[in-house]
Amino acid sequence: MTRLNLRNTALAAGTLMLCASNVSAETLRWASTTDPQTMDPHAVNSAPVLSFLNNIYEGLVRRGQDMSIEPSLAASWEPLAGENGWRFNLREGVTFQDGSAFTAEDVMFSYERASNEAADVRSWFAPVSEVRVVDDFTIDFVTSAPNPLFPDSIANFMILDKDWAEGNDAALPARDAENFATMNVNGTGPFTLASRDPGVKTTLVPHEGWWDDATHNVTEAVFTPIGNAATGLAALLSGEIDFIQPIPLQDVAQVEGRDGFKVLEGEETRVIMFGFGHEHDALLYSTDVTDANPFADPRVRLAAAHAIDIASINRVLFRGKIAPASQLVPAGISGFSEANTGRPDYNPDRAKELLAEAGYPDGFSFGLKCPNDRYINDEALCRAAASMFAAVGLNAELSTGPVRDYWPQLREDDFDMYLLGWSPGTFDMEHPIRFLMHSQDDEKKLGSWNFGNYSNARVDELLPMIQQEIDPAKRQMLVDEVVAITQEEVAYIPLYTQPLIWAAKDNVDLTQRADNFFMLRWVTVN
Amino acid sequence: MIAFLKRYEGLWLFVHSPAAMIAALVAALILIGAVFAPWIALVNPYDLASFSLFDGLLPPAWEDGANPKYLLGTDDQGRDMISSILYGARLSLVIGIAALTIAAVLGVGLGLAAGYYGGRFDAIIMRIADVQLALPAILTALLIDGIARGILPAAIQQDLRVAVLTLAIALSLWVNFARTARASTFVQMKKEYVQAAIMMGQRPSRVMFVHILPNILGPLLVIMTVDLASAILLEATLSFLGIGLPADSPSLGTLIRIGMQFLLSGEWWILWIPTLFLVALVVSINILGDFLRDVFNPRLR
Amino acid sequence: MAYFILKRLIQSVFVMLAVAFLAFSLFRFVGDPISQMTGVETSVEDQERLRDELGLNDPFVYQFARFTGDLLQGDFGFSYRTRQPVAEMIATRIPATLELGVVALIISLVVGIPTGVYTALRPRGIATQAILMTTLVGVSIPTFVIGIMLIFIFGVQLGWLPTFGRGGTVQIGGWESSLFTIEGWRALLLPAITLGVYQLTLTMRLVRAEMMEVMRSDYIRFGMARGVPMRRLHYKHALANTMVPVITIIGLQFGGVIAFSIVTESVFQWPGMGLLFLESIRFVDIPVMGVYLVVIAFFFVLVNLIVDLLYVAIDPRLRVSDVT
Repeated sequence: MTRLNLRNTALAAGTLMLCASNVSAETLRWASTTDPQTMDPHAVNSAPVLSFLNNIYEGLVRRGQDMSIEPSLAASWEPLAGENGWRFNLREGVTFQDGSAFTAEDVMFSYERASNEAADVRSWFAPVSEVRVVDDFTIDFVTSAPNPLFPDSIANFMILDKDWAEGNDAALPARDAENFATMNVNGTGPFTLASRDPGVKTTLVPHEGWWDDATHNVTEAVFTPIGNAATGLAALLSGEIDFIQPIPLQDVAQVEGRDGFKVLEGEETRVIMFGFGHEHDALLYSTDVTDANPFADPRVRLAAAHAIDIASINRVLFRGKIAPASQLVPAGISGFSEANTGRPDYNPDRAKELLAEAGYPDGFSFGLKCPNDRYINDEALCRAAASMFAAVGLNAELSTGPVRDYWPQLREDDFDMYLLGWSPGTFDMEHPIRFLMHSQDDEKKLGSWNFGNYSNARVDELLPMIQQEIDPAKRQMLVDEVVAITQEEVAYIPLYTQPLIWAAKDNVDLTQRADNFFMLRWVTVN
Repeated sequence: MIAFLKRYEGLWLFVHSPAAMIAALVAALILIGAVFAPWIALVNPYDLASFSLFDGLLPPAWEDGANPKYLLGTDDQGRDMISSILYGARLSLVIGIAALTIAAVLGVGLGLAAGYYGGRFDAIIMRIADVQLALPAILTALLIDGIARGILPAAIQQDLRVAVLTLAIALSLWVNFARTARASTFVQMKKEYVQAAIMMGQRPSRVMFVHILPNILGPLLVIMTVDLASAILLEATLSFLGIGLPADSPSLGTLIRIGMQFLLSGEWWILWIPTLFLVALVVSINILGDFLRDVFNPRLR
Repeated sequence: MAYFILKRLIQSVFVMLAVAFLAFSLFRFVGDPISQMTGVETSVEDQERLRDELGLNDPFVYQFARFTGDLLQGDFGFSYRTRQPVAEMIATRIPATLELGVVALIISLVVGIPTGVYTALRPRGIATQAILMTTLVGVSIPTFVIGIMLIFIFGVQLGWLPTFGRGGTVQIGGWESSLFTIEGWRALLLPAITLGVYQLTLTMRLVRAEMMEVMRSDYIRFGMARGVPMRRLHYKHALANTMVPVITIIGLQFGGVIAFSIVTESVFQWPGMGLLFLESIRFVDIPVMGVYLVVIAFFFVLVNLIVDLLYVAIDPRLRVSDVT
C-alpha cells in the first residue's frame, strides 16, 4: 500500500516502543474540516496545506505565538550592503528527518522549486531577482527594489532536502500527477509523517533530531478531517478527539457548559467586506435601473454602509463574538491605520437621504452575490444584509452559491455587489492594498482580487512607495493616506473581523494563532 | 352509479377510520394554511423589508424572553416561525406534488409501454432508466441546474430555482414508477383478460390504460405515497448537500437545513418546529394514501 | 440464456458510456477546478497556464474522448485535488461504501420482510398500527437529521457507539473491511441504520401491500377452502408470490442505498466513495467525479442484470418475453 509510508516505519516503531515503556506518552487526536490536499509544501498555496505542513517543514523564518517573525532555519538576517535584498545566515547543525544535513544548497534548491512555474507559491518570489549561495550557511536573496518586508513574507516558504527530492524524482511540485513528495515528507520540523490515508487519517510522530527544544509532550498526533460541523462537535464531546478547529459559534455555549471541555476564542486576521462593481456601466441584476450604475456614486456606497446594523449582526448571528471593522485589516496587523478607525454608523435615515441626494429617492434593485460555504455564517450574513438594505430601499436580489462556483462568477464580473473575506497573507496592510485596492493590472499582477476594479490614481501611486519605504513612520503615513482615501470613497464596506473558535478537552493546552494555524509544537497534553 | 356507490362507500369507511379522519384533518389544515399563507401569515418571508434581524432568535411565546407577537418564535433572521412554516409548506407541497406528477406520468407511461411492447423498446427504456438510476439525485440536480444556468438569462435564474429543483426531483423519481409498472405489466400481460382484449383488436393505448393500469395501481399507489414524502425530503437533502433552494426561499426542507445549525445551540424551535410540521404532513399524506388505496382496491378489504 | 446475458452486457457498456457522457457534459457547470486548485495569490496568468496543462481549454468533445479513451486503456487519471491516481483513490473507498450499503440492505430486509408479512396478516392489530406509525415517522425525518440525532443519542449522551469513521478495520487482500472487528461493527451500526431506515419502510410497506393482495386472490382462497394449513399458505404460496415486485424494488433499493450513502457518509464521516465524491464536487475534481460515476454505473448495471436474472428464475412465465 502506498498509503503507509514505509520510510518512516522504523521511526514509528521506535515511537511505539517508547509508548510501551513510557506511561506519560501522549497521543493527540485532532480534527478539522478540510484534509490537506498534498504533503508537498510548494504545490498548493492553501491554508489547510500550509497549516499542516508547518508542523513538518520549516522556513528560514517562522512565526511565534503572537505572529511575530522569529529565526528558524535562518539564525539571523540583515539587509544586503550595496544592493536591494537580504542576507540569511543559516543555522548550523540542523538535520532533515532522514538524517541528512541542512545547508544553503537546500535553500537554493527549494527557492528554485518554489519559484518554478509548476509551483503555486511562486508569487512570493515575484520581488526576487537573484539568489546567491555565499557559503554553506549563508545565502543572499536579491530583490529588484527595496523590500523591507521580504523576510516577513516568506514565513511559509518551506525548505526541502535537495538530495531527497532529486533522488525521488520530486525536483518539481506535481501538477497533473502525483510524485514522491505528494505523499512523503522530509523536512526539518518538529514532526514527521508516520502514515497517511488521504481524507481519512494522517498520523504524525515527533522528529527526534529536531534542532530546537521540544516544548510539547506529544508522542503521536492523529489528524482526521471531519467535514460536517455537528459530527465534529459530537466527536469532541464523546471524547473521540481531543481538539477541533473550528466549531460553529452558536455551539460555544454548549461546549463551555460541559465539564471537561473548553473553547478557545480569538480573532482571525480575516476581514469580511462588501465590494461593488465600480467600473460597470449599468447594473446587471436590476429590474428598475438598467441604464446606470448607482454604485459608481460614493454617496450610494455610503448609503449602503449606513444601512448595515452591525450591532444586530453581532448579537444575533455571531453571538457577540465579532469585532466591527473599519478597514481591510484588523487592529494589531502591521500597517493598521490608527488614524482611521471610524466606520459609518447604522443610520437608515441618513442612508435614505444619501440615496435621495444621489437621485434614487425610492431606491433601486440590484444583485448581491455571496458564497455559502466560505466564511462563517456567510449566507446568513448576506440574508440579514439584504433585509437591512431593503429597509432603506436598496432591494438586493440575493444569490448564494458554493465557492467553487462563486470565484468564477466574480472573475467574470457577474455581480453588482459581492461579499469577500480577506486575510493578509503577509500580515501587513500592504497585502490588501496590493490585491484589493490597486487598480486591476494583469501585467504587474496587481489588483488581482479587486473584482469590481476600484481605481484611484493616488492609491496606485502610493502602493510602490509603501512597498519600498524603509522608515516605519513614513510608511505608516503613506498607508494612512490610502486608508483615508478608500474610506472616504467607500471602496469597500468593511464589516467585521471573522472570529476564530476552537474547542478542546480541558487537559489539552494549546496555542491559537491568529492565522488559524495549529502548531503541534505548542501542545501539552496533561 | 358504481362510481357513486364507491364514493358513498368510501365515505362510510372514512367515518369509521379515526386514523384517516385525523390524517385528513391535519392534511387539510396544512393545505389550507399553505394555500392561504399570504393572508394568514404575519410576515411575508419573501419581503425582506417585512422582518428584521433585530427580532432574531426569539423563543416561542411560552418561554422566557419571548415576544408574544411571535407565537412560535423567530429564526436567526428574525422571521416569524409560523409565517416561514406556512410559506414553507406551500413551497414544499408545490414542489412535491409537481415533481411527483411529472415522475408518475413519465414513469408509468414508459413502464406500461415497456411492459406492453417488450423487446427492443423495453430494452431501450430500461437502459435509459439505468442511466438515470446511475446518476445520483444530487447529480441530476446539478445537471438540470447547470443546463438551466447555461441557457437561461442570469436575471431569471433565481426565480426558476423552484422549477429546476422540481424537474430534478421528478427525474430522479420516475424510474421507480417505470420499473414497477413494467414488472407488474409483465405479470398482467400473461393474464387471460389482457390477451383476450388484445385478440379482440383493441388499441394498445386502451389495453394499457383501461385494462392493465387499474390492475397495477396497488404497488404504484404505495410508491406514490412513499414518494411524495421522498420528494419533499429529497428537496431537504439536496439543500443539505448545498444544491437546493436558496435560504431565502423557505421550503420546509430548507427550514430544517437551516435549523440543523441550531441543534445544540439552545434555539431548539428553529429546527424542531419545522421538523414536527414536516413529519405531521408526511405522515398524514401516507395515512391518507393507505386509506385511499384500500378504498379504490376493494379486494384488499 | 447466454445470449441474453451477452446482450445485456453489451447494452451495459452503452449505459456506462452514456453516464460518462452526461457526467462530463455537466462538469463544467459544477464550477472552476482551477480556482479551487490554486491559492489566492496565484496570478491569473499562472492559472491560465495550469488550465492549459490540464487540457481544460480543449473542446468538450475532445476532453470527453480523451477521458473515455484513457479509461478504456485502464488509465483512470490523476485527481486534481490530491494529485493521486484516481483508480487507487476509488479502489480504497469502495469497500467502505459496499459494506455499509450491504449491511443497510440486509437490515432493511431482515426487519422489513417479517414486519411486512406480520402487518399484512394482522392488518387491524395494535402492534401493526404502532409499527406502521413508527416507520412512517422514521421516513418523514430527513436522513441527515436522523443521523445526527443517532450520533448525539448513542455517541455523545450514552457513549455506546463511535460518532464517526470506520472504527477498527482489517486488511484482507486489497479489501479494507470493518466486518471482522467489534470496533468495526460498532462503527458500522449507526450509519447502516440511518441508511437502511428508508429502505426498511419501503420494503415493509411493499411486502405488506403485495401480501394483502395475494391473500385475497382466488387460489389462496381456494387453498383455504381446501384446508391447506395457514402457515403453508402464508409463507409458501403467498410470500413467494409477492417476490417479483419485491425483488424489483430491492434491486432499485441497492441503487438508492448507494446514492443515499452520500448523505449518510457525509454525516458519519464514513470514508466511502460517497464522501470522496462530495469532496470532489467541492473541489471540482473532474477526474474523480467522472470515474466515480462510471463505477456507480457499473454497479447499477450489475445489480440490474442480477435482478433480471432472478426474475426469470422466480417466475418462469417471464422467460419467453425477456429472452426474445
